[in-house]
Amino acid sequence: MKWAGIKKKLRWLAYLATEAYNAPYRGAVARAKREQDDLFMLLIFSEMMGVPNPATYYTLELQPIMLEKFHEWHKRAGMEHSPLDDFRCC
Amino acid sequence: MDKLFDRRIVFVGGKGGVGKTTTAGALALMAAESGRRTLIVSTDPAHSLGDIFDTRIGNEETSLGPNLAGLEIDPEAEAEQHIATVKMSMKSLVAPKMYREVDRQLDLARHAPGTMEAALLERMADLMAEARERFDLLIFDTAPAGHTIRLLSLPEVLGAWSDGMLGHRDRSRKLGNLLKVFGRDHAREDAFGMIGGSKEEPDDSRDGRIQSILLNRRRKFHRARELLTDPTITAFLLVINPERLPILESKKTLDLLKKFNIPVTGMIVNRLLPSDVDGEFLRERRLQEDQYRAEIEQTFARLQKVYLHLLPHDVHGVETLREIGLHIVGQLGDSSGDASRPIEA
Repeated sequence: MKWAGIKKKLRWLAYLATEAYNAPYRGAVARAKREQDDLFMLLIFSEMMGVPNPATYYTLELQPIMLEKFHEWHKRAGMEHSPLDDFRCC
Repeated sequence: MDKLFDRRIVFVGGKGGVGKTTTAGALALMAAESGRRTLIVSTDPAHSLGDIFDTRIGNEETSLGPNLAGLEIDPEAEAEQHIATVKMSMKSLVAPKMYREVDRQLDLARHAPGTMEAALLERMADLMAEARERFDLLIFDTAPAGHTIRLLSLPEVLGAWSDGMLGHRDRSRKLGNLLKVFGRDHAREDAFGMIGGSKEEPDDSRDGRIQSILLNRRRKFHRARELLTDPTITAFLLVINPERLPILESKKTLDLLKKFNIPVTGMIVNRLLPSDVDGEFLRERRLQEDQYRAEIEQTFARLQKVYLHLLPHDVHGVETLREIGLHIVGQLGDSSGDASRPIEA
């Protein structure tokens, strides 16, 4: 009984230690990935933001897939609604 | 000549009004009559191919005689179709009340600059890739030079674009994998009764779809580019008149084609005045023409040339085209068939 309790506490401590080490890295990597994804998304929607894009015709077919990400992005960027007049997702 | 027709793709280009469609039509007729299954494709938004063959040709392959079919690409219809597909897939993802918004936005995209060109290029790339099974030879009657050059440079630009986009996806995926190494162990969190609510939605299927769309694009562009730059597959014929502006423009065209590694095979000098013209006016024009002709000889010395005289009547119907075609074939045959040599200015 007592052993089981100690074992559980030790596992808990080990978990805390791992997290204490991993969490900052995880945060940094997650941020980097998100930045990468945001850039990709902005490239897809670039034409709408007034940036000429040689491949508008082809980004068009990627837009439906990115719709959800676009919504997440403008929320994260502190805009409650889509910042683009001619493209509203919510 | 056999060498020219042994190619798979022949482009006929030049300034507006120099006789591209006539030349392309005559060549197509000759190729068809030599037993090659030939498709002549007009990419000029203002089509005149049908007028020359005296038939109605539309956005579908139309028979123009034995072994010969014609097609007038309608970029507007192509773009319409592409956008309809996008609309469908977008509507499956958004709430019904957003449908009007989707329609509005995509209708705007249809009028965006470049959409028509992209749609046209798409169809041309498809034809180059798949018409091989049905036809031995594809002849493109192109729009005036500037437009065509841009069109031919698109595979390179868009190839680079899709490469870049795939690069972004790749970096994102690597970071995602790294994230898994540092990732939360949800099973263990649950075991400790912690909040497991912030589980990330699975991005894998979205990534997969994006990846496959981009890869498809890239494959198509690179394939088109490969075909265009291979001198054993593609030939580019430049049509020119012995006048100042066509000469100047052809020089520029040649430079650009060279830059994009598209092999120019020969030049067709069209609308020469016959040597026995009468009257003071025409004699003077002929003197001027001689000068320009000398300039052409000098400037484009390394291109094989074919000379065609101005006809006393309009080009209309198969008979006239055959007459012109025989002239071209005859002259190409004379010059020891060095049309296969990739020539640059």
